[in-house]
Amino acid sequence: MADLTKVVDAVYKGRLKEIQGLVQEALDAGVEPTTILDEALVKGMDVVTQKWKEGQVFVPEVLRSAKTMQSGMDILKPFLVQGTGEAKGVFAIGTVKGDLHDIGKNLVAMLLESVGYKVINLGIDLDPSVFVEQVEKGVRYLGISALLTTTIPQMKVIIDSLEEAGLRDKCKIWVGGAPVNQEYADEIGADFYSVDAAHCIDQLNSLK
Amino acid sequence: MFKRGKLGGLDGGQYRPLSDSDVRKLHQAIVRIMSEIGIKVANRKAFELFKSKGIKTDEEKQLVFISEGLLEDCIDAAPSELILHARGNPDNNIIVGGKRVHFGSGGTALNILDLETGEKRHSTLEDVQNVSKLLDYLDNAHFQVIPVYPNDLPIEKVDINRFFAAINNTNKHCQGGVYTIQGTKEVVEMCSMIAGSLEKLQKEPFISFITCVISPLEIDEVYGGLLMTCAESGLPLSIPAEPLTGATGPITIAGNVANLCAETLSGLCLAQLVNCGTPVLMACTSTSTDLRTMSYASGSVEEGLINACAAQMAQFYGLPYYGTAGQSDSKIVDAQAGFEGAITNLLVGMAGGNFIHDALGLLEFCLTASYEKYVMDNEILGEVMRVLKGVEVNDETLAVEVTAAVGPGGNFIQEDHTFEHMRNEHFVPTVADRQPRVNWAKAGAKDTYTRCKEIVRDVLQNHKPIPVDETIVKAIRAKFPNFVQ
Repeated sequence: MADLTKVVDAVYKGRLKEIQGLVQEALDAGVEPTTILDEALVKGMDVVTQKWKEGQVFVPEVLRSAKTMQSGMDILKPFLVQGTGEAKGVFAIGTVKGDLHDIGKNLVAMLLESVGYKVINLGIDLDPSVFVEQVEKGVRYLGISALLTTTIPQMKVIIDSLEEAGLRDKCKIWVGGAPVNQEYADEIGADFYSVDAAHCIDQLNSLK
Repeated sequence: MFKRGKLGGLDGGQYRPLSDSDVRKLHQAIVRIMSEIGIKVANRKAFELFKSKGIKTDEEKQLVFISEGLLEDCIDAAPSELILHARGNPDNNIIVGGKRVHFGSGGTALNILDLETGEKRHSTLEDVQNVSKLLDYLDNAHFQVIPVYPNDLPIEKVDINRFFAAINNTNKHCQGGVYTIQGTKEVVEMCSMIAGSLEKLQKEPFISFITCVISPLEIDEVYGGLLMTCAESGLPLSIPAEPLTGATGPITIAGNVANLCAETLSGLCLAQLVNCGTPVLMACTSTSTDLRTMSYASGSVEEGLINACAAQMAQFYGLPYYGTAGQSDSKIVDAQAGFEGAITNLLVGMAGGNFIHDALGLLEFCLTASYEKYVMDNEILGEVMRVLKGVEVNDETLAVEVTAAVGPGGNFIQEDHTFEHMRNEHFVPTVADRQPRVNWAKAGAKDTYTRCKEIVRDVLQNHKPIPVDETIVKAIRAKFPNFVQ
């Protein structure tokens, strides 16, 4: 349908000023809200993330598309029946104690949100207890980020704290950051090592 | 390569990406950033020091607004030139300042390509010792910034052992980053024992330190504390800023350079407030971010541009400059590893960077070192130094009389003039292969990586730097429980 193509295009090109008008147009034309969501907004993001993996689209473009998609979703929210459009899962993410790096982590947070996860961005320089608290509250997915050799040992501390609290098997743990690798993730007992945000999304999808 | 026993020191400055008016505009932007946007100082003691100078501050946001007046005073207080000494060989002292160019190692890579298997593995204390020895041998490594991290040591043992491993295996200046306040103090004490006393070490420092500021515009709690500890020691200190374009600094090069200068200069100011007259290197480790992957693009040509501009700004301020060049983001020693490093080393050398680190040995976003790449990069740097040496034009070099003697149709091969100048005028490669194909094939048809590996093996086997005196080592062993060598 011509209307939906315009919506897909607007997400792909990051047309923040036009998206809400276009989504409203589609609604007015009688298109089902869930159809607009799945066949236009989500589809637009799929195209973006695919082209991003191929190296043709830059991260700032991905972020703008994600922002555009979310702006479009704001129009649809009141119309979506309860149960649809709900988050695919809740993902808490943070940077470990003593570490201030957050760009990569924030990127993961934004992209996970844009593909339908609810993300709790815990921030930086976090005590292990902050992560434990999240699992206590029922969060199933944890992402732990670190960029310094001196702080990655905190990752193991967090995992050990969860073990001690009897919560380790209640969650899946992702680790990421430049000094991290698969070997380290295996050594400390993390469930997943993500090279980047796209990798994390693939891994989450593989859990279904 | 041209003067044995005298390292580097040729003048750069032939490459000036910024016009005089550009430099002035950048300075104005830097002053605006420091005095209007402000620098966040998350270390309480450091904050109080800035506040005590009567400049405007914001307690709640932990911001200090460094006035142009305070900046000028601090720049005046810092020496414009430093002699960085070499333990065991004063010929290897280097004078850092002006447009004099020196290159050296760096990076504190966490991994290294194993010399035998070529596989990437964690670096160890033994690698610190071996790479230091290799750097000691390579003529175009004019100083050492401790190259790799000893993953086999717990953090409290890292500082003192890393420094000793480097110092003991090289007779060139050693600079290194520090990880803990206690570790820093142990390094100073240990090196005072080696020098004979703290005063002797301060007077003729054969070591110096590195503490970073955080981009954008922040002196944090931990590194603020380490900066102050290092400044109190009276030893030279590099204070690098590393904004990455489009991520922690503006995407445009001029804006990124403005930010990085504001950041490193705020560190310089703090050092002067702690200890007036502290020798500081205005420092840049900045490069671009690859916005397709968010990688830290250490091998990008923009790294060369940024560091060349920052070198010019340091010359404008009359400060010694620590810059970055020579790395590659390749995971192996291949063509990419060659061309990326060659371009950035040439740009920053020709811009007159005084202390250009990371210039040898680094791959993969500075995460991985390679023994073979140190050797290859040494060759690149030899060529860069030849460029800096320039072209001498006088009657002797114009050689009109020689041409007259040779005459049309003759040849120059047996001329005295050729004989006299041939070794000084031209760079003689040790890595580049210029053999006829038949000879190259007979010798095993080896590629650059293989030929470099053979040189490494030879150096590690045969080269012997002057170690620290054994009586002193015994005393160090007895005094420091963290010392493991």
